[in-house]
Amino acid sequence: MAPDPKPTTKKRKAPRDDGPAEDTPAFLAPTETLEMLTDDEGADDAASDDGEVDEFPEIDAESDSEDEDFFEGSEEDEEDGENADSDDSMDRDIFPKPKTIISDITGQPKRVYPEIEPEYDSDSSTEETQNRVGNVPMHWYDELPHVGYDMDGKMVLRPARGDELDKFLQTVDDPSSWTSAFDKTAQMDKPLSAEELDIIRRLYANEVPDAGYDPYEPMTEWFTGKGKEEVMPISSAPEPKRRWVPSKWEKQKVMKIVRAIRQGRIVPSKPKTTSKLEFYAIWNEPSTSQAPPLPAPKPRLPTNSESYNPPEEYLPTDAERAEWEALDREDRERDYLPKKYPSLRLVPAYDQFIQERFSRQLDLYLAPRIQRVKLNIDPNTLIPKLPSPQSLRPFPNYKSLKFAHAGRARSISVSADGAWVVSGDESGVVSLWEVNVGREVKRWKFQGKIGALEWCPRTDVSYFVVGTEETLHFVVPPNLPSSVLLATQNLLAPTSLPPAPETPSPVKWATPPTSSWSPDNIILTVQLPPSSGLTKQISWHRRGDYMATVSSAGTQGGVWMHQITRRHSQAPFKKIRGSVQLVLFHPLKPHFFVATQQYVRIYNLSEQKLLKTLMPGIKWISSMDVHPSGDHLIVGGYDRKLCWFDLELSDKPYKVLRYHTRAIRSLAFHPTYPLFASSSDDGAIQVFHSRVYNDLMTDPLIVPLKILRGHTVKEGLGVLEVKWCARQPWLVSGGADGTVGLWCS
Amino acid sequence: MGRLRQKGKAGAAKAYVTRSAAIKKLQCSLADFRRLCILKGIFPREPRSRKRANKGSSAPTSFYYAKDIAYLAHEPVLKKLREHKTFAKKLARALGRGEWTDAKNLEENKPVYRLDHIIKERYPTFVDAVRDIDDGLSMVFLFASLPSNPRLPPSLIENCARLAAEWQLYVMHTKSLRKTFLSIKGIYYQAEVLDQTVTWLVPYQFTQNIPADVDVRVMLTFLELYQTLLGFVFFKLYTDAGLVYPPPLDAKKDEGGAGVGAFSLQSASHAAAPAPSNTKAAVEIDGRKISGKDVRQAIKSMTETESESAGQATTAPAESMDVDEEFVPHQSSSDPQTTSTLTTLKALTALPQSLTTSLFSPYTFYLSRETSRPIFEFIVRSFGGRIGWPSSSGSGSPIEETDESITHIIIDRPLVERTNETAEERERRLRRKYVQPQWVVDCVNAGKILLEEPYAQGNTLPPHLSPFGEYMGAYDPTQELGGQAGEDSASEDEDANDAASLRAAELAAEVAGVDFGTFEKEARKSRKKAKAAAVQGEEEGEQDMNKMLMSNKQKKLYEKIKYSEKKKASERAKLESRRKEVKRQESKAA
Repeated sequence: MAPDPKPTTKKRKAPRDDGPAEDTPAFLAPTETLEMLTDDEGADDAASDDGEVDEFPEIDAESDSEDEDFFEGSEEDEEDGENADSDDSMDRDIFPKPKTIISDITGQPKRVYPEIEPEYDSDSSTEETQNRVGNVPMHWYDELPHVGYDMDGKMVLRPARGDELDKFLQTVDDPSSWTSAFDKTAQMDKPLSAEELDIIRRLYANEVPDAGYDPYEPMTEWFTGKGKEEVMPISSAPEPKRRWVPSKWEKQKVMKIVRAIRQGRIVPSKPKTTSKLEFYAIWNEPSTSQAPPLPAPKPRLPTNSESYNPPEEYLPTDAERAEWEALDREDRERDYLPKKYPSLRLVPAYDQFIQERFSRQLDLYLAPRIQRVKLNIDPNTLIPKLPSPQSLRPFPNYKSLKFAHAGRARSISVSADGAWVVSGDESGVVSLWEVNVGREVKRWKFQGKIGALEWCPRTDVSYFVVGTEETLHFVVPPNLPSSVLLATQNLLAPTSLPPAPETPSPVKWATPPTSSWSPDNIILTVQLPPSSGLTKQISWHRRGDYMATVSSAGTQGGVWMHQITRRHSQAPFKKIRGSVQLVLFHPLKPHFFVATQQYVRIYNLSEQKLLKTLMPGIKWISSMDVHPSGDHLIVGGYDRKLCWFDLELSDKPYKVLRYHTRAIRSLAFHPTYPLFASSSDDGAIQVFHSRVYNDLMTDPLIVPLKILRGHTVKEGLGVLEVKWCARQPWLVSGGADGTVGLWCS
Repeated sequence: MGRLRQKGKAGAAKAYVTRSAAIKKLQCSLADFRRLCILKGIFPREPRSRKRANKGSSAPTSFYYAKDIAYLAHEPVLKKLREHKTFAKKLARALGRGEWTDAKNLEENKPVYRLDHIIKERYPTFVDAVRDIDDGLSMVFLFASLPSNPRLPPSLIENCARLAAEWQLYVMHTKSLRKTFLSIKGIYYQAEVLDQTVTWLVPYQFTQNIPADVDVRVMLTFLELYQTLLGFVFFKLYTDAGLVYPPPLDAKKDEGGAGVGAFSLQSASHAAAPAPSNTKAAVEIDGRKISGKDVRQAIKSMTETESESAGQATTAPAESMDVDEEFVPHQSSSDPQTTSTLTTLKALTALPQSLTTSLFSPYTFYLSRETSRPIFEFIVRSFGGRIGWPSSSGSGSPIEETDESITHIIIDRPLVERTNETAEERERRLRRKYVQPQWVVDCVNAGKILLEEPYAQGNTLPPHLSPFGEYMGAYDPTQELGGQAGEDSASEDEDANDAASLRAAELAAEVAGVDFGTFEKEARKSRKKAKAAAVQGEEEGEQDMNKMLMSNKQKKLYEKIKYSEKKKASERAKLESRRKEVKRQESKAA
């Protein structure tokens, strides 16, 4: 085969074909190419010496013989081999001997090699310039101005490169520039040969890069084919039955499907599922006995104001419209504004239509529903039917006279015969006046506030007790009949004092000498123990021999029980829970009521034990009174409540009333009439009729009769005390404004 | 010693579950739970003590009955919803992989839930269902008027329109419309079906758009339920009325915008005929030879026919007898006014027809083109009238404008001078009565033919009032204001008790320039008022005192009732005073 440089293309050949390499601007090639090229170079360097282009021995898969032919036929190859040999020998033989000369500069001997004269037949002689830096990795010189050293040890400078514009012009000028690549060794662009382009194409198409390789060679049959059959079987097992008997299992499977198709369970060409529901007579079959769920409430039906043409009066005024528009949608009472259109064709679409539908649906599935019984009752039927107050006369209904005090008239008392009233105020003045005319008969002045005042309930004697700070004063009113006066004096200051009790009491009873007795002077004083504070309440036993007092401070709850005849005082409680507000004697039984802040306790005095605790449910008890029959108790509190207790029934109130607008201050049962009254800080006195039946089955009848107004509220305090006149349905009330009023029927 | 009671094991804590607990128990999404609640009609409950029901927490939650949720757990729809979830996953996967045939197969076998069992469960009897179709009808009429969009497929709109038309057809056929009200919100209709009043609201014919703050999914779920419910109800109503359901639709007429007229009512006697003959044939075959296969086939055919003719097999004999007895040809069902005289006995018994149902039967109406055809066609035909319309309002008008039988023209435009009209036209115009649309509705509500004059073309219309009435004691605009008359008549027996003060007042009035007559009237009035107030005050004082003895509960109730009474009274007083004012202004203007 003749050596043909063009078809047997190797990169090595390119520089020779292309001619001047220095002129061509080099471009930076990727390092991979560079590596490849340098590898290549080594292989071909030797061959390039003789200028012969040797064909790479193609691995031809045709046959061995062919291969042999190929080698035989190529004489050049032989030659090539010889050349290679000669090349080696030349290296040894022709290598010039260096001359040793004395250097002019250093004065040292140095070896100088002669210039290499290229021979005529050598390839290099014909070439312009060849990069002869040798088999040196080119990347060593990447950052250097030269690319290596030639055989003479001289630097081979990197060929000059043009700028980008030159490059571009080059690509414009040279039609083959797009098929050229940078040759690192030559440092210039070299056009790719057709073979190289073919390889690139193959690689690109995922083919075998070698054009001569045939991946689909005919198979060489080594073990099969005629005359090469295996005589011995691999397994000697007999053929299994399943290979030739139809499968029973498969038959079962198929039959199952067949049966299903026959029965219509499987429809072979089933129409696709339709979302459309076929309607049928769903209510023909009887329904379950289960009760149906409650139907949803129907929406409200439209009213006249929703008409497109409502009467004029339904149309909102401008103010109403503005108010409606200012409100949030949730707060609006109506979700529309009435509007009037003169004609039906002018009615527009309702812009809230879908919202309203939607909110209705939200109501249906999100709102809790409660079944409410619609009350269709006249509200007046709710008010209890009570007898008319006019039929329950007499009761006090007007203010007949007024008596003025300087300070707050905190305490008043009416004498047992109902003819006299004593009233005390906070400045320490106690006045005695007549009920019928309201004339003041006498006035006493005490030190400090008057805490409590009480007439003795006995009728054969006549005196009253005034409670001030830590002292009780026994006062005898003037102008008494002599017999009564004598009896009173005998009672309060007997000539022979009763024997002193065994246990000394801290309470001192003192009587001034007989000589100084006068209506002005006090006939008897009882000195309560020091620091017991103001006497808040004086409560007499019905017989008039015992008297209980409550002080605002002091030990044992400040409760003292005094016996007049024995001139003896004792504290009934060693200690008591809570601060005592009030005490009361039971009118008939030896029972004693003690009201603490929240509870009322009933003690049996003779047995000395607690009988009952009443729980009125009042935050702070202010007042209390017991019915003359002794079976009922009323308790009032600062939290405006009044509790009626039936003592026979339970310890919870039978009735709780709350009608005063401010705290209840005082309560009083009339001793003979079926009346009671309550006074409050709102300045009103409420009079009730309270009938109590002997029959246990009948509830007591309570009828509000009259609200008496006339006291003025001063500094938040109204009517501080009410008391009844014993034999008349008359009421005496003392107010914070300093007046004491008498209310007559 | 009794058993220890543990907290949260009994009572409200056990009877109620919160919504999140319910969702957790049902293992479904919130959207699915909402759908289930809508379909099954389950709504939250208000426990007596929220704190106790929520195990001590007072966080704001909604509570459901635990039993409701327990029943939901066995709901077939819930199962289907779960299947749908897996289906959606499979479909998404198939689509993601590009397996188009698989996706198509899946799509074809998509799980679809049915609601018939829910309908049966929620409405065990037919009357229950009829009682509850108000909302459904309103929704269907609304959606029939909506434009379609990707959320609302055209098929849905079409189905709603069909249901709406079917209902109108039924109402027209049975003449069960009772009341109509033209409101600013739309048109309220009230029909009486099976002694149940059914009220529905139809929007005016304008394009509505679903606003952004409305959850369409909720509406669509409700619509799904309502469509099913209405389908079953209509089926029953139609078959009971001896009609075929669904009524066949004439596609050509529908194209032409015939609306309700596109459907034709068919008597069920024709359709029911083949069903019994089929079964009879099967019996004959059975007589000859009986094999398991035959029997199976027969059963199959029977079930098929049953499902086809929707359960007529059970009622078939009775019905066919009925048909034989009093078979009435309903041949021209497109204009029911001719068939209205030939009502079946069944229809007569089912609906006690009053005189008012044939209110318009002597009249023939013609609609002017600016009036809404669907509204007035429905109303007029429901009351036995004949009606025609111009072709611009849709095709299918039974009468032309030139028809001699036309008695009324429903017209809604201002009166204009006619210059170029022929003598014939003029003569025709004078013969007919031109009324505004409100006349028709007011006649229907009044139950009689009203005078046409106040409603004539171009006149200011009298106010249109709600036929549904208001609460007891509400302001009634039709009643005369009677306050002044009573006041005047009762002023006889008054005597000047405080002459001095009267004289002083007289002098003051004279100074102020008030003439004597009016002053005297005023004085009398004020005196009487004072007297009445005194008496009333006394009474009231006693009442107030008696209120002290009311229990707290009674007191609260009393206050509540009093409050509402007061509010109503003030409302009424406001309207009355405004009416007086309006009257005064009118008289001033006149």
